[in-house]
Amino acid sequence: MYEEFKRIGKTLFGLGIVGSHSGNMSTRSGDRLSITRRGSMVGDLRDGDIVETGVYEDDSGILLASTEIKVHRAIYQKTPALAIVHAHPPYAIAMSMLVDSIVPRNVEGAYFFHRIPVVDAKLGVGSDESARVVAEALKDYKGVILRGHGSFVHAKLLEDALSYTSILESACRTEYLLWLAGKKPDESVTW
Amino acid sequence: MFGWSGRVADVSLSDRTALFATTPFYEDFVGGRGLGVRLFFERATPSIDPYDPSCPLVFAIGPLVGTPAPTAGRMCAVSKSPLTGTICDGNCGGFIAGKAKACGIDALCIEGGSDTPCIVVIREDGISFEDATSLWGMDIPSSAEALRARYGPAPGILLIGPAGESLVRYATISTDDLRVFGRGGLGAVMGAKRLKAIVFQGNRRTEIADREQLRFVCQQARKLLEANPITSRGLRAFGTPILVNITNTMGLFPQRNYQASHTDKADLVSGETINTELFVKRRACLACPIQCDRLTRAGEGVTRGPEYESVWALGPDCGIYDLPSIALANKACNDLGLDTISCGATIACAMELSEKGLYAASASFGDAHALVPLINDIARRSGAGADLAEGSARLARACGAPDLSMSVKGLELPGYDPRGAQGMGLAYAVSNRGACHLRSYILASEILGIPKLLDRTLTTEKVSLEVVLENLNAAVDSIGMCRFTSFALSEEYYSRLLSSVTGVDYSEEGLLRLGERIWNLERLYNNRAGFTSEDDTLPSRILHEPVPSGPSAGHVCRLHEMLPDYYRARGWDEQGRPRQKKLAEVGLDHV
Repeated sequence: MYEEFKRIGKTLFGLGIVGSHSGNMSTRSGDRLSITRRGSMVGDLRDGDIVETGVYEDDSGILLASTEIKVHRAIYQKTPALAIVHAHPPYAIAMSMLVDSIVPRNVEGAYFFHRIPVVDAKLGVGSDESARVVAEALKDYKGVILRGHGSFVHAKLLEDALSYTSILESACRTEYLLWLAGKKPDESVTW
Repeated sequence: MFGWSGRVADVSLSDRTALFATTPFYEDFVGGRGLGVRLFFERATPSIDPYDPSCPLVFAIGPLVGTPAPTAGRMCAVSKSPLTGTICDGNCGGFIAGKAKACGIDALCIEGGSDTPCIVVIREDGISFEDATSLWGMDIPSSAEALRARYGPAPGILLIGPAGESLVRYATISTDDLRVFGRGGLGAVMGAKRLKAIVFQGNRRTEIADREQLRFVCQQARKLLEANPITSRGLRAFGTPILVNITNTMGLFPQRNYQASHTDKADLVSGETINTELFVKRRACLACPIQCDRLTRAGEGVTRGPEYESVWALGPDCGIYDLPSIALANKACNDLGLDTISCGATIACAMELSEKGLYAASASFGDAHALVPLINDIARRSGAGADLAEGSARLARACGAPDLSMSVKGLELPGYDPRGAQGMGLAYAVSNRGACHLRSYILASEILGIPKLLDRTLTTEKVSLEVVLENLNAAVDSIGMCRFTSFALSEEYYSRLLSSVTGVDYSEEGLLRLGERIWNLERLYNNRAGFTSEDDTLPSRILHEPVPSGPSAGHVCRLHEMLPDYYRARGWDEQGRPRQKKLAEVGLDHV
């Protein structure tokens, strides 16, 4: 498992969608989850950087887990997700500050996402509110953007979650370029 | 005045006089630890014997106490430690700081000694002295009950137990609800004065300069505390024993007087197991959203804790993994007024001395049933307890094996093996009060990744961080907030809270400079009391005996790679003394 986290983390960093010490990911197995450790470098994970704790119950692992453990738990509790990637993709973050949802117009984005909702959490990163709104959105969508903060994507496999995150960012980048070209979306399109 | 009360209560027990004086030094030392250290420094000669009744004992409160600032309920006590001979501050939570502040004081300075056991009663309009003869010899819960009966249901009470009365060198000062000034034996300083208890009865409110701004900063700070898994879940659900499995997994959990640092029995004494087997009720200190405090079963009774350190010291450090026995030992220490860390570590030292044929101890490693009788003996300096009441350093020295005391400057090491966490080794060695995990708590960086995850086996990057954390924590101790907030809050929040309450503009840099000033003043006192760089060291075992097995196998603490850099970073000379230039920089050139 460590090797898989390491491979995915390195790719996320290589894509430029997580910073040196930002972003996190997890996988679920039964009522346990494995998540990147607080303060770890997702692009350079080392022994001990993957922490195990409960999906429903706390134990000592909570002390080392990523600060956004609450969001990961809420997603696992409300969706059938088995893997989650949280990234800080710049185009997705920029678009989240312009619109309330993104309907991808590039073919790949439209095929996988149809719509990417943008949600707000006034109480900020790691709050109960952010856990609630993100998990609620992911009941209906593969990916969601927490406004001004970053994306949460869920899947059955960690590599799939990586793939969807990459597609989400690509869709947002396309959208951003279209906006620059003055081609704003047709507001009548819904999903 | 906003934040501060503007008064210090000055008490002389020898002639039973008292007065309220204007609070001095608050501009440069703020309150709590800073004000306490400054007042002590002013009044105590470096050579004073801590058992001499004239040795000052200072209690000080920060300006945030009595306001809604989260966790602002800490009080500091400062005196000279009978265990170490250094200046020593203790820090206590619960509700006592709020009760003392409500009497309209920033500090209480007690000097001199009473001929007979006495109680000092502090009220807003005066200070009185009452007889405590009937309480002398009683344990802490019984004394507290008698005091509550005498003074009403909710006074603030500080008191000592039989250990303080018997001048045990690691006796605590306790509150009536069993929060303690735990380390360094300040309870024995109180015992030497024949001062059984201090009672606070007041209703004064703390004035706040900018309520709107304070409300906003508090709201932001609470948001961060609630969002952080350590402060909102881990500590709340399990208390500090949540660390047992973490430190053990990393090979930092000392066993049998530091002869090993890992066990396959950690689960027997972990926070998770304590929750299942002993947990009774969660408690919170004044204004605290973290709520790490807890009541647990101990035999037929209920007591506070055991904290991580108590579980470790009275358990695995003595080769004991029987949780009910550890709970009973913790209760005995609470009731009698003993520091659980020094008590457990001294017993562990005696056990190893006995194992090596150097001392006839009444208990050996793993002997769970011997703990409580031995603790009773220690608290009253009777039987086998008389030797152990002196602490591990004196005991080991008397047995001709000083290296078997796991202590620095005479204060026993807490439960984190610095051979596997190099920064912690530096922190223990340079601490002004002897081996203390709380001076910098650099372990948060080495194991929890706060503020940044550092490789715990390396010495690089540790020195500068150690200095900053020491300074920051000295400042946090001075404003009246709990250290645990620093898992979620940065110095920006402390300075904003302080500015909102006092109306004085404090910057982050100003806060760190305050901490630096305190640290240097403590060091100056110790230097004058005879401490040199030779005292900034670690037990031989930590420096020379590699950890035999487990995740930290093969490691020793490489203090020599950090100490010279630490002195340089501090602006001290090779002897660990602040240079004149540094003293001038922090405004101490005149002391």
